[in-house]
Amino acid sequence: MRQVLEGSHAISEAVRLARVQVTAGYPITPQTHIIEAISEYCADGTMAGRFIPVESEHSSMAAVVGAASTGVRTFTATSSHGLALMHEMLHWASAARLPIVLGEVNRALGPGWNIWMDQTDSLAQRDTGWIQLYCEDGQEALDTTLMAYRLAEQVNLPVMVVIDAFFVSHTFEPMDVPEQADVDRFLPPIQPRFAIDPQEPAALYQMAPPACYMEMRRSIDLAMDQAAEVFEDVEEEFEQVFGRRYGSIETVGCEDAEIILVTTGSATSTSRLVVENLREQGEKVGLLKLKRFRPFPTEAIREALAGARKAAILDRNFCFGVGGIFSQEIRAALCGLEDAPVIFNFIAGLGGRDIPPDLIEEIYATTKTNAAPAEKSIWVGLNEELLESCSN
Amino acid sequence: MAAEGSKMKNPVSLFVSRSTITSRANKTGSWRFARPRYQDKTAPCSAACPAGVDIPGIERAVSEGNVDRAWRTYMAENPFPAVCGRVCFHTCESACNRSRLDQPVSINRLDRFVGDAAIDRERLEIPDILPSNGRRVAIVGSGPAGLSAAYFLARLGFACEIFESKSEPGGVLQWGIPAYRLPKTILQQEIARIVDMGVKIHCRQPVDADFLSRLQASCDAVFLGGGLGRPVSLGIPGSPYMADGLALLEAIQNGASPDVSGEVAVIGGGNTAIDVARSLIRLGALPVILYRRRRQDMPAFGHEIEAAEAEGVRIAELVAPMALEPSGDGVCVHLGGMKTVEAGADGRPRVVPDGVRKTKLIFSKVYSGIGADIAEPWYRPGGDDGAARIALSHCTLDVASTPLIYGGDPVMPVKSVTDAIASGKQAAIALHAWFEGGREAIARAMDRGQVGPGPALSMESYLGGERRRRDRHVVTPEEINTDYFQKKERGSAHRLAVANARLTFDEIEFTLPPDRAAEEAGRCYQCGLCNDCDNCRIFCAEVSIEMVDGRRRIDLDYCKGCGVCVAECPRSAMIIEEERA
Repeated sequence: MRQVLEGSHAISEAVRLARVQVTAGYPITPQTHIIEAISEYCADGTMAGRFIPVESEHSSMAAVVGAASTGVRTFTATSSHGLALMHEMLHWASAARLPIVLGEVNRALGPGWNIWMDQTDSLAQRDTGWIQLYCEDGQEALDTTLMAYRLAEQVNLPVMVVIDAFFVSHTFEPMDVPEQADVDRFLPPIQPRFAIDPQEPAALYQMAPPACYMEMRRSIDLAMDQAAEVFEDVEEEFEQVFGRRYGSIETVGCEDAEIILVTTGSATSTSRLVVENLREQGEKVGLLKLKRFRPFPTEAIREALAGARKAAILDRNFCFGVGGIFSQEIRAALCGLEDAPVIFNFIAGLGGRDIPPDLIEEIYATTKTNAAPAEKSIWVGLNEELLESCSN
Repeated sequence: MAAEGSKMKNPVSLFVSRSTITSRANKTGSWRFARPRYQDKTAPCSAACPAGVDIPGIERAVSEGNVDRAWRTYMAENPFPAVCGRVCFHTCESACNRSRLDQPVSINRLDRFVGDAAIDRERLEIPDILPSNGRRVAIVGSGPAGLSAAYFLARLGFACEIFESKSEPGGVLQWGIPAYRLPKTILQQEIARIVDMGVKIHCRQPVDADFLSRLQASCDAVFLGGGLGRPVSLGIPGSPYMADGLALLEAIQNGASPDVSGEVAVIGGGNTAIDVARSLIRLGALPVILYRRRRQDMPAFGHEIEAAEAEGVRIAELVAPMALEPSGDGVCVHLGGMKTVEAGADGRPRVVPDGVRKTKLIFSKVYSGIGADIAEPWYRPGGDDGAARIALSHCTLDVASTPLIYGGDPVMPVKSVTDAIASGKQAAIALHAWFEGGREAIARAMDRGQVGPGPALSMESYLGGERRRRDRHVVTPEEINTDYFQKKERGSAHRLAVANARLTFDEIEFTLPPDRAAEEAGRCYQCGLCNDCDNCRIFCAEVSIEMVDGRRRIDLDYCKGCGVCVAECPRSAMIIEEERA
């Protein structure tokens, strides 16, 4: 059914439709609306699941780890400092091989205190063993959350569904909310491969000495590789039921493009418009949207970028001392590729600053007019005067 | 450690540590430097109850639907659940820790529920009755103090006879408290239970000084519970034109329906004045209460004052009657205005004549409602007889010869029905102890039965029951883990509409129905008392709390002393102490 929903509530609706059994949550802007709606559903009986209010994000992840260990479907959501506080438990969730789904709303870390859009929070968790899926809009967030359960439960790894603060989380859009019967068909009840069972007492996750720890880590890595294949299957089935799919990456006009713009999240939507206009003007430009960050779609990216001369990568995040995080990953993915495109790394839109179409046009123009980037990362949209004034 | 095999077609790699080998070899108890233990404490309600009733025990039984157990728990400390459930001024509710969260538990209504449920049932077994000890006690007066003394003495093995001057037993319960607050059938049924225990009540048998001497000669002890039967005179010119309010209440109780109409005055500000005024409303008169202090200074219960006003009783404050004189068919009252000055020793603002306002009002009749005093001087311990006197909080023993115990209103600091019951209980325990071992035995008995900081006494504790194990510390609101309690509206009972209530002497409020009672009892925190919620066992990180014969036991081989059990106990029924070397 078509409904106008807020981006946050697109995720809440998906959690309801997925018949999640245990949700834990602690409020933090801009994520709060997600768990708020779920807590109301649990309280008023709309959902049969239980909601556990906790005193911190560390505890909310610990609570769903405990719940998931009993073999039930679980959910939690957070942002920014909340995700940072969960860090220890994020490692636990993946190494415990629990199919937890986390709704993550990208928000800047302080200080300076800032509640707006920035991807550094989730990208700082890239080594925790979580599958990470970035969404462009509310519909994709809803669909991805449903697919996340299929994926997580099949490979026994946790999945982070990531949306932009405010640009997606607080924006109302018309979207297609699937019927419960269709969701039930796509996503049957969880069938855990292992669970705590009082009838058969056992301890889980105890000491793993040198003789087996490496094997356990390798096992996670193999599962992460398998997740890439399973992701394709899940998307295939999702499309059969609901008629939509997204791909680990999506390309627009990349086949004949000389310059390819690489984006994530809601900046992709703006870029679609700019790329379309530029192409109408005869520019050989393409667009690559990266959705699946973990497992990283190395092959798909190499293939998509192989024909281009240059790639302009838009990073709404930053790793101090290196540069944009997506740029690092893409450079590494292209390593050894013959005639690989020259990588231009643009830093834009940190801490909620807008990325309007003219800024993307500027990025394109800079990439086109320069043979190589002037700096390892090019900060666009900076107020130089403000920066200068503060340097003294 | 075992690898989990996969049943999937394309097996996904999955390797986690899982073990069914016990970890009991690792005795984590060696890490401990603090030790938790179960310790039941005293709930504030039970310490605030003059009769020391085990209120949380009752509420737990009611919430579990076990009304018989609730009744037995009540009867262990007070023979009048249905009566007190109507007339007690419930200091327990003022002490309730729950008022910090929302509103106190409706303890008084639940007492009434428990009492009424027992009246509706077959005979229930009264707890702890000791075999006869061969001693006889005479009791003067069958008010709440005398009846209570008889009940507890009978349970302690004494043979009791009560001597009552009036035609029916009950004292103030029978004659003073109007039927709309306490229907007399309820009172009679609770008195009948005491009679069924073998207590003889001789009505229309007044006791004068000679009779008292004879009782002292023929019995092993005498309890004096004569109460306050003599009306107090205002001592102003024209006093004879004033009618006695207590006599009016008694006449109504005897079936009379005095013909009063028009505006009548009631002088006083206590419960008697309110009872008289509300009875006058029901007789068709228009009563005005004349009170020398302010409305907020009235010693009557707040809810009674409000109910009286709702029924149409008017209150004139800061006026003092100076003189009365006949005026036609009525009485003219000369009133002087009063004003407040700084608070006196009792904390209430004093009042003095303002010297300005002087009015004359004409009423068809004027009633006094200013309370009463002892009818005979020997109702109260007089003179200086120090050596033979043992003064306790609610009674005084004179052991010069045959023990004589002064109880009830004449000797109590607070005059209430429940204090009178406490007086009878204290007298019974003290007398039992006196015969066991004299003066020191009384001191030991008072200590043995003390509830919390006292002076409330528990018969169950005195007899060595479970309650003795409770620590005397009274649980404070800060010691309750309110994370485990949700706000919930206090239970209230149906009432007659004011328009109907003011026309009859029918009881105004109804008894809570069983489902509402169970729900209301469920609001009780169970302060300081383990109610088997099992939080300690569920939260124990070392699984070191086990159930042995239905009781929880902490396995100190594994308890690390982390204190989670204590912190998560919603009701402060556990403590943690430093490990002793």
